[in-house]
Amino acid sequence: MRYKKIVTDFFILMALTTNISFITSPNPYELVITVATNLAATILKIGEGRVLSTEMLASSLVADLHLIPALFLFFSGDPKEAIGLAQGALAANIISVIISIIETILSAFTEEE
Amino acid sequence: MPKLKARIRRKLKKKREPRLIEIYETRFIETLKEFRIPLMMLHTAITVGTIGYMIISGGDFINSFYMTVITIGTIGYGEVVGGSDTLIGRIFTSFLALMGIGVFTTSVTVIVRIFFKEDIINLYRAIKMLREIENLEGHYIICGYDKTSAWLASTLKKRKIEFVVVESNPQALKYLQEHNIKYFITEEPYKRSVLLSAGIKNARGMIVNLGEDTKNIAVIVTARLIKPSREDFYIYSFASTDGTAEKLEELGANKAFIPSKLLATRVAAYIFHTGSAFISDLFDRIAFGEETDIDILELHVEPGSPLIGKKLKDIDLRRALKVTIIAIRKPDGYLDVTVSGETVIEEEDTLIIFGQPRNLKKAQKILLEETYRILG
Repeated sequence: MRYKKIVTDFFILMALTTNISFITSPNPYELVITVATNLAATILKIGEGRVLSTEMLASSLVADLHLIPALFLFFSGDPKEAIGLAQGALAANIISVIISIIETILSAFTEEE
Repeated sequence: MPKLKARIRRKLKKKREPRLIEIYETRFIETLKEFRIPLMMLHTAITVGTIGYMIISGGDFINSFYMTVITIGTIGYGEVVGGSDTLIGRIFTSFLALMGIGVFTTSVTVIVRIFFKEDIINLYRAIKMLREIENLEGHYIICGYDKTSAWLASTLKKRKIEFVVVESNPQALKYLQEHNIKYFITEEPYKRSVLLSAGIKNARGMIVNLGEDTKNIAVIVTARLIKPSREDFYIYSFASTDGTAEKLEELGANKAFIPSKLLATRVAAYIFHTGSAFISDLFDRIAFGEETDIDILELHVEPGSPLIGKKLKDIDLRRALKVTIIAIRKPDGYLDVTVSGETVIEEEDTLIIFGQPRNLKKAQKILLEETYRILG
């Protein structure tokens, strides 16, 4: 069992789930946790030398760049726009999870070798 | 499904030799990895502080974030968040300050140290340089950087000929930077990946000057395996003795020079022409590329060339292009130095043209273009 992968995958999934929960029921705590988990996932992807790591980092950065402005918009009185941005980040989160799954399958094949 | 699995497996299995730029990029990524722990520590401290203050204040994010930053950043402007002046608020601030300040200072120190560590900057520069080398064409590769190579580099620079220096000794890096060498690779030149990264496939030639015959042989053999044609890729090497020079030429070098012999021959030339020092020195300087105002060009007359059958006075290069044909080398090797306006150009002749480098280039371009136009 690779603990590093558990931690990275945990944050990738957590970023997705908290984002969905913020979109369905907007709440300041949910949004802060979404941003925090997304940033954690981005940090963990820095310097990853795996096959699709650049795509993973790029998708994570996209999510961050949606969520950080969403955070400031939400607290400056424009929650509608913040939710819109969070939905954009959700797309990036879903792509992140898909890439993570593809990479897991690819690494499983190489391990078998 | 099993077919797909097998295909993916084959694709993944098919490993090729990594390019130098890829090795450097991997090393760069590895260095970036060092940022993860301090960034994660800092991120955790800020997140815990912000969420904590948000709970205490009832959801005031902006002030909670601000309060966290001024607390762990040891700024401490005061209790700006609602509820932070209560008992719970002060207990939380105390714990956050105790842990957060340490985390903040450690993280910032580590991040700054990694960022300014020489490796990361040098690696980035090397990657950038390798990318530029990939775009070079018709350049030369100089393997080994000593005083001779430094003189050679300076002469090539004067002639605006691009070159890449490959030197494994890290101490030479200081001199390479001092001498403003634009492209250099600090790796062993006998490695295939290094020569490929130096752009050997697009290069015109290579100068091998590693100080030891064995090392020179290793580089020449590796280079010839990549570029087998002696006409497309010139290899000039230095050798210690006549015997080694012969071996190097047999192994793939177009010409192997013995530095001491070369020097002696040149000094002897001065002794032989003591009375006519200016002319012999002029030819010498032209031959050795030291005379930048005058140069000699050899132009081969291809079969079908429009020049064939024409008299020198008809093409009148002297007036049209400000260059002079001083001699014609015949296909059998005979050098006709008594050319006049009545001399007729024949197929497979080599015209020896004398003039200013700029005019020579122009003449070569025009004459070759004319030939290709006629040959279609």
